[in-house]
Amino acid sequence: MSDLLQLVFSGLAQGAVYGLIALGFVAIFAVREIVNLAQGEYAALAGLSAISAVTAGVPLLPAVVLVVPMVVMVAVLIERLCIAPIRKMTPLLSIILTLGISTALKAIMLLIWGPQARGLPAFPGRDIVLAGVSIRSQELWILGISAVVGAAVVWAYEHTLLGKAMRACAEQPVAARLVGISPRMATMIAFGVAGFVGAVAGLVGSPIYFSSWDYGLGLGLKGFVAATLGGLVSLRVALFGGLLLGVLENLVAGYIDTGYRDAVAFLVLLLVLLVRPQGLVLKASAARV
Amino acid sequence: MAGLQVQGLEAGYDRLQVLHGIDVDVAPGELVAVIGANGAGKSTLLRAVSGLLRPRAGRVLLNGEDITTASAERIAARGLAHVPENRLVFPSLTVDDNLSLGGWTRRKDGHRAERRRQVLELFPRLADRICLPAGALSGGEQQMLAMARALMAGPSVMVLDEPSLGLAPRVVGEIITTLGRLRDDQNLAVLLVEQNVRAAFRVADRVLVMDRGRVVAEGTPDQLADDERVRAAYLGGGSTSSGSVDRPAAEARPAKATATP
Amino acid sequence: MRSEGVLRSYLPFAVLAAVLVVFPFVASTNLVNIGVFALIYGLAAIGLSLLMGLAGQVSLGHAAFFAVGAYTNAILITRYQVHGVLAAGAAVVVSMLIALLVGIPLLRLRGHFLALATLGLGIIVSVVVRELDVTGGTSGIFGIPKPEINGRVYDTPQEFFWLMTPVVVIGLLLARNLVRSRTGRALSAVNDSEVAAECLGVNTFALRLRVFILSAGYAGLAGVFYAYWLAVVSPEASGFQLSVKMLLMVVLGGLGTVWGAITGSIMVQGLDEGMRVLIPQLIPGATGEVQLVGFGVVLVLVIILLPGGLAQLAAMVTARLRGRQVERPAAGRSSPLESDGAPAAGGQGGHGEDGEPGSPYLGDVLDSAQIPERGSLVLSVRELTKRYGGVTAVREVNLDVYAGEILALIGPNGAGKTTCFNMISGVLAPTDGTIEVRGRRVEGRRPHVVAALGATRTFQNLQVFGSSTVLGNVAVARHLRSRSGVVRGMLSLARREERDIERIARAAVAAMGLADDADRLVKDLPFGRQRKVEVARALALSPMLLLLDEPMAGLSGPERDGLAALLRRTREAGVAVVLVEHDVDAVMALADRVAVMDEGRLIALGAPSVVRQDPAVIAAYLGTDDEADALLRQAAKEVY
Repeated sequence: MSDLLQLVFSGLAQGAVYGLIALGFVAIFAVREIVNLAQGEYAALAGLSAISAVTAGVPLLPAVVLVVPMVVMVAVLIERLCIAPIRKMTPLLSIILTLGISTALKAIMLLIWGPQARGLPAFPGRDIVLAGVSIRSQELWILGISAVVGAAVVWAYEHTLLGKAMRACAEQPVAARLVGISPRMATMIAFGVAGFVGAVAGLVGSPIYFSSWDYGLGLGLKGFVAATLGGLVSLRVALFGGLLLGVLENLVAGYIDTGYRDAVAFLVLLLVLLVRPQGLVLKASAARV
Repeated sequence: MAGLQVQGLEAGYDRLQVLHGIDVDVAPGELVAVIGANGAGKSTLLRAVSGLLRPRAGRVLLNGEDITTASAERIAARGLAHVPENRLVFPSLTVDDNLSLGGWTRRKDGHRAERRRQVLELFPRLADRICLPAGALSGGEQQMLAMARALMAGPSVMVLDEPSLGLAPRVVGEIITTLGRLRDDQNLAVLLVEQNVRAAFRVADRVLVMDRGRVVAEGTPDQLADDERVRAAYLGGGSTSSGSVDRPAAEARPAKATATP
Repeated sequence: MRSEGVLRSYLPFAVLAAVLVVFPFVASTNLVNIGVFALIYGLAAIGLSLLMGLAGQVSLGHAAFFAVGAYTNAILITRYQVHGVLAAGAAVVVSMLIALLVGIPLLRLRGHFLALATLGLGIIVSVVVRELDVTGGTSGIFGIPKPEINGRVYDTPQEFFWLMTPVVVIGLLLARNLVRSRTGRALSAVNDSEVAAECLGVNTFALRLRVFILSAGYAGLAGVFYAYWLAVVSPEASGFQLSVKMLLMVVLGGLGTVWGAITGSIMVQGLDEGMRVLIPQLIPGATGEVQLVGFGVVLVLVIILLPGGLAQLAAMVTARLRGRQVERPAAGRSSPLESDGAPAAGGQGGHGEDGEPGSPYLGDVLDSAQIPERGSLVLSVRELTKRYGGVTAVREVNLDVYAGEILALIGPNGAGKTTCFNMISGVLAPTDGTIEVRGRRVEGRRPHVVAALGATRTFQNLQVFGSSTVLGNVAVARHLRSRSGVVRGMLSLARREERDIERIARAAVAAMGLADDADRLVKDLPFGRQRKVEVARALALSPMLLLLDEPMAGLSGPERDGLAALLRRTREAGVAVVLVEHDVDAVMALADRVAVMDEGRLIALGAPSVVRQDPAVIAAYLGTDDEADALLRQAAKEVY
């Protein structure tokens, strides 16, 4: 029993990281119908940059606080340079393009930081044991920060005027322009949000899951799977999808074989796509028709 | 010079020229209706005026300022409101949110509550449905919402694309009445594209008849009421339409969705 | 003439073969070694290029099939001592079988989802080969002997290069033939407009599945050579990097051109080796797969600057050399990257005086054997209803159409006419109600099913196949009347059938007065003629029910008269014609019966003279004189 609880709990922590990445996918897809395959790279970039800063003597907190806006800027810059110039974006085009961006980012990280994986020092706190489940303080940090950031993003999209403007852009781009909302601005903000959640995911996860140049690929794909559970348009389902996926992976790794951990996400993906391509949201969103 | 001036406007899509030199003036407190068959270029005219489509030649002046090459977002901020064909409300957002976004360009001027009150007075039915998602409204209510949303920006010029489309006669009457009231009470310059000739004639100060991208007749409703050309443009005198490409991108979305079942 | 053309079309392959044969003599061993890898990956890239260019589907996990081929071959040879050729064949078959199994569910997905699903497939394969004992876990399978044919061992780079040369050249040739075949024509049409191709009877799903399987076969064969050449198969063969590399080869070479795939693979392999050497020199301490930088950057640059790849560049250069005006980059050849099934661009809106459409041609086009007896029921619609959310676009429409009549469907904008067409032709599934075409229930079936029953349509928002010629457009309509499949297409065995297709297509083109434009690209035609192309295309299907959505819009007066005459003759042949049209005068003169729709309902149905006087019809068009008028008057009072 405590085995199960242990697996579920550490799965939740891992899943929270997936959930944050999933938010990034949804943030962009909802506005521009682009699946941004570079989403995971933001996390790797944030983790590695923060590690360098800490190694250079910057204390953990300022390092983390500095890295987040930097990654946001990188994400926005890439959008300006590579996404904005394309006049007519098609699914095929966007996939190849973001795959190219992702590959280039990965290789640049490999050049700068080399192939080995490293971790940030753990955030302050003491590990505890509760009902036979040993809980690392970092896992609590992950869950706490993810909950705060996730809730903030969801709240911003649902309750602020800017968030509503972003949704308006996604639902009726022409009408959005007619009331004065610029789709270019919306796309830029979406990439900024994606960079933000990606950076947070990379930073909170780094002490346990480590950061490396190719960390972003698997992470990004799992975030995508979680986002697919919400049909790529629901932020809430994407967050919960991440948690679900993390737990599921841990259970498979714990009870079947660690080697198959990475296959879980994609079996889930295939299943979801085949059974309900529109995601697990029960109410089919009229806006997307 | 206040109001809207369109001078020698030419516009089109790719190799297809739709508008061949259109001139329209709409003064504040004036309602000009544009009628004509499908494909005459009426929607294209509105799209070119509001910046959704970049004109190829000619000029568009809004309150004396040249907005010919400005983007749709900029033009909206300058006080021209375009109520698009098929209403295009934001379906998953509530009526209230739709209104708030209508005031997007004026979100910082602090008069939003006041404008919202005025708009809801004009369309009391929306007040009853303020918390419903816009997608749940009836066609007539969505049309009202589209107009209310446009008014939230406090425009000086309003252009409307077939507000009567698919609505019951009584609702059409209501909407036309409101348009007249807006013109008279708020001194709006209104450019109305309509297929419903009778409704348009009831309220318009002047009427333009378009055919194949040109204005072929112009006058007061009384002058045009018995004009053969009006009948011809409508019931087909054998000289209609230069094609149905005159279709706003807004409509291309549902069309695309249906193309991939 | 013809044989000369055939010879010329094979000339580039002879040149390629010659170059490949000579290459090992002149190049250093190191270079030949790179060349071997270029050929291996090139073979896989040809398949991927077919999938992406022809079927318009992207696979981000193509290394999966490559790995399946390599592993199958390695296992059969090392563990079961199967004969080399047999093992290779089995490897290809296994790759294709797996493609069949995963393709059936996956190819129903669209766009992003399909791409990501293939990516998931790639990762699953790579996890599985790492975990299974039979695949040797993380270390893979060792000790695959070099191929030996008739006592000759192909173990040096030169020998292996020569071994691969005929395979690659033939693979390329077959792929090229497929692109030009009936299958290729249909799929290229699908890329321009899926809905139009379906309405002409193209079963998109089935064709895509076949190409998917075929491309897996190419990848599997490439995997076989890979296993032989490296003598080791490790999980690296299934890696994501390899999938990216194949993708880059295809994109760089130019989507939709098989030649681009082979060119792209040579360049990418060169780039790969070059970067591997260059980057560590520029940046000391750089290790690992640093060449990925180059892959990523090139991929992004190509997409932004040259979406048509090298093929586009080549087309631009040739055009300039020939002194022709160079068109805008994207206009050279529409790249599948840029087409998403949206309607092609319109033309100039000119009004060419094409004269009378020729009647003698119509007999060739329409197939009397397919047309039911005059007056028999061909289409029967009952209680047809379509609701979108809260809006009812079509409400309980009942309508019968008989062979040998022209029925006009008219009504104001937004009345639901096109929605009716969409449901009858299978483009939209009705919310409620039934549709029978020649007694067969078709509601909710796909358009190609309806087309196979002899019913086709044209579109209000033009859906021409912009990137092919007028003749090519019309030839697609003969899809249902011809049979050659993927294999016959690859082997170019359908010459006679192709000649028949061309004959009928030319007749249909001539019948619409388009003979002079037969070989021009449709996207370069004026709008009115594009519309005629759609009608010619619909006629070439030899339909018994023809649905025309505003066929006269954009035509000049004489052209309209010509079309009307043609439609009358089509009716005389026994075809049922239903047309939506705004030109009320033309409709009244042409139609046997007129149906009027307003607000989704059928409000009148009968002879033109009767319908014309119907008060409800007048009200629908001009607004009512009584009810609405009273309301408006009352409303006006409130204002003043």
